[in-house]
Amino acid sequence: MDPIIEHPMAQNPRPPTILESLGEELIRIITPVSVCMLLVVLLVTVLNDDASSSSETVNSIATIAYDETASDSSWDKFVGALLNALVFVAVVTVVTFVLVLLFYLRCTRFLKIYMGFSSFVVLGFMGGEVALFLIEDFNVPVDSITFVLVLFNFAVVGVLAVFMSKMAIFVTQGYLVVIGMLVAYWFTLLPEWTTWVLLVAMALYDLAAVLLPVGPLKLLVELAISRDEEIPALVYEARPVNAHDSQGNAGERRVWRDRRNENSSNGNENPGSNSNVNVDHTSGLNSSSNLGDFGNVNNDSSLVRAEEGRIPDRGQELSAPLLERVANVPPRRQEDVVASENLLLEGIGLGSSGSIKLGLGDFIFYSVLVGRAAMYDFMTVYACYLAIIGGLGVTLVLLALYQKALPALPVSIMLGVLIYVLTRLLLEVFVVQCSLNLIMF
Amino acid sequence: MTIAAGIGYALLALGPSLSLFVSVISKKPFLVLTVLSSTLLWLISLIVLSGLWRAFLPLKSSAWWPYGILIFTSVVFQEGLRVLFWKVYKKLEDTLDAFADRVSKPRLYLTDKMQIALAGGLGHGVAHAVFFCLSLLTPAFGPATFFVDRCSKIPFFLLSALIALAFVTIHTFSMVIAFNGYAEGNKVDQIFVPVVHLVAGMVTLVDFASGGCIIGIPLLFFIAILTLLHCGKMVWRRLTENRHRQGSM
Repeated sequence: MDPIIEHPMAQNPRPPTILESLGEELIRIITPVSVCMLLVVLLVTVLNDDASSSSETVNSIATIAYDETASDSSWDKFVGALLNALVFVAVVTVVTFVLVLLFYLRCTRFLKIYMGFSSFVVLGFMGGEVALFLIEDFNVPVDSITFVLVLFNFAVVGVLAVFMSKMAIFVTQGYLVVIGMLVAYWFTLLPEWTTWVLLVAMALYDLAAVLLPVGPLKLLVELAISRDEEIPALVYEARPVNAHDSQGNAGERRVWRDRRNENSSNGNENPGSNSNVNVDHTSGLNSSSNLGDFGNVNNDSSLVRAEEGRIPDRGQELSAPLLERVANVPPRRQEDVVASENLLLEGIGLGSSGSIKLGLGDFIFYSVLVGRAAMYDFMTVYACYLAIIGGLGVTLVLLALYQKALPALPVSIMLGVLIYVLTRLLLEVFVVQCSLNLIMF
Repeated sequence: MTIAAGIGYALLALGPSLSLFVSVISKKPFLVLTVLSSTLLWLISLIVLSGLWRAFLPLKSSAWWPYGILIFTSVVFQEGLRVLFWKVYKKLEDTLDAFADRVSKPRLYLTDKMQIALAGGLGHGVAHAVFFCLSLLTPAFGPATFFVDRCSKIPFFLLSALIALAFVTIHTFSMVIAFNGYAEGNKVDQIFVPVVHLVAGMVTLVDFASGGCIIGIPLLFFIAILTLLHCGKMVWRRLTENRHRQGSM
């Protein structure tokens, strides 16, 4: 029998429990969101240290109605910010409707080229501007020819990675995060009140556009479903999770527009069967949650120079079931990332394997919120970060419950703004008081 | 005092939690989610407390008893939340076990449950360190430092980092003790945790006296080590019991 003295830890390797892999998809989407937020916070702290940069305001669509100056009263600032936000939302709505129209008229190629062009502008011009700021701040010795060459290559590779061809998924994800970071940094240059009201307005717009029957995003998604096409959009797709007990058997899962198919075929599968991974898998899928894979609309607005009206990306997600997910499908292709050429692949059932997709607009607005919080103090940054991640988790859970396209912005942004205000008003005084007296609990 | 000092203070407060995170928690995504949610919960409890006390702040008096009341109410509130956390965890455990049955994987082992408790405690500890220490560290990255009147020999940032380190330990391991106490119905453990939290909070009141931090901080560390030892003993006992039970089956 067992000796009396036995190390309780020395045991034979046990079969892995569900704890090993549960929630992995959530982590795979939370990580890039966190990285993007971290980068924006770093940029903001490094570049906005001097007071002079905060006084100049960027001229753009978002400040067309009202330019905030430090001497106005709070009420004036609020009204001005409201006007700005309304103008911005109006522009965004119009452009989204134009996008829906173009999609309806099957100008997909034009849309793709346009997106590629806007990515190029973001990476090239905004990226170049940020790089110039950094070079100035840190006195990096580099000549202009090298700089232009490197920047050009960087931008072109970015466009290719995001749109045109299949690259290593890490490169694509990296570029998407960089694009999100650059646009978010630009947004933080707006005046303070305008930024906050704009965030709330965009959250409300997102809610309306996705959930109302007349909302442009809902129309877009329904068009795409009925036609069996992918929306050309900038979407971050988390790396698909591999099956841990890989049976080698590929369960292709057509997650896109599969609600009808799966629901019909899956009818009487017994959720409890444990004979075959695939059966488990489909039954798990169907019993647990949704399968709607909705792409995200996304155009970037070049509000920087106000040349064309691009709209910031919106987010709806599609999510594979979260916590109730069974053994995951071995993905057919790891690189099967973004829209475009998937038309053909969809046809043979090689749709994206059900990983969570989050629109780049969500990345951008989350990072804008955190970046703005960073301009005040780090305590608000930590608090808002936690609030946003919590909101994202809640949204994904709601997604699993309701099984249809949901806007990712409202819950997180509202929570974030609420906690920012509460932290600034209440928490800071409390914590500083306690800490300075070395009273902690 | 420059970036190096700032990073040093941050690591002083959060170093052990970082290594705990990297070695144990980052391997299992569910534990990372637990850490994040328990951090959020602690933040919310802190906001509620600050909302309650806002009307009375800033406490101008240099007497110690308003702070005593403050600590008492805060600790009581947070311990109440811990019970709530336990109840939610119980429900979650049932859901997870049902899910494990459905996918024909083994149910949660004892070590898994303890890891979840550890992750929860770590979340609380990290939240404490972040909000009481890290968020005030921003000036430390600059060229100067700051001293508090009551403890004028040591920079304030170092003091808060040390106190945060002690509290991180206390929070992390008392969650393990508490969950185990609730699971086993062990009254000693159940009382141990709130008492330790309260005592630790009150010990920081010692810092109120001028030069009191020389006694206060070592006392705090003593309490932290006590918690650590108690937790270690309890875990060892449970694992040995479990092993024997499994071995004799």
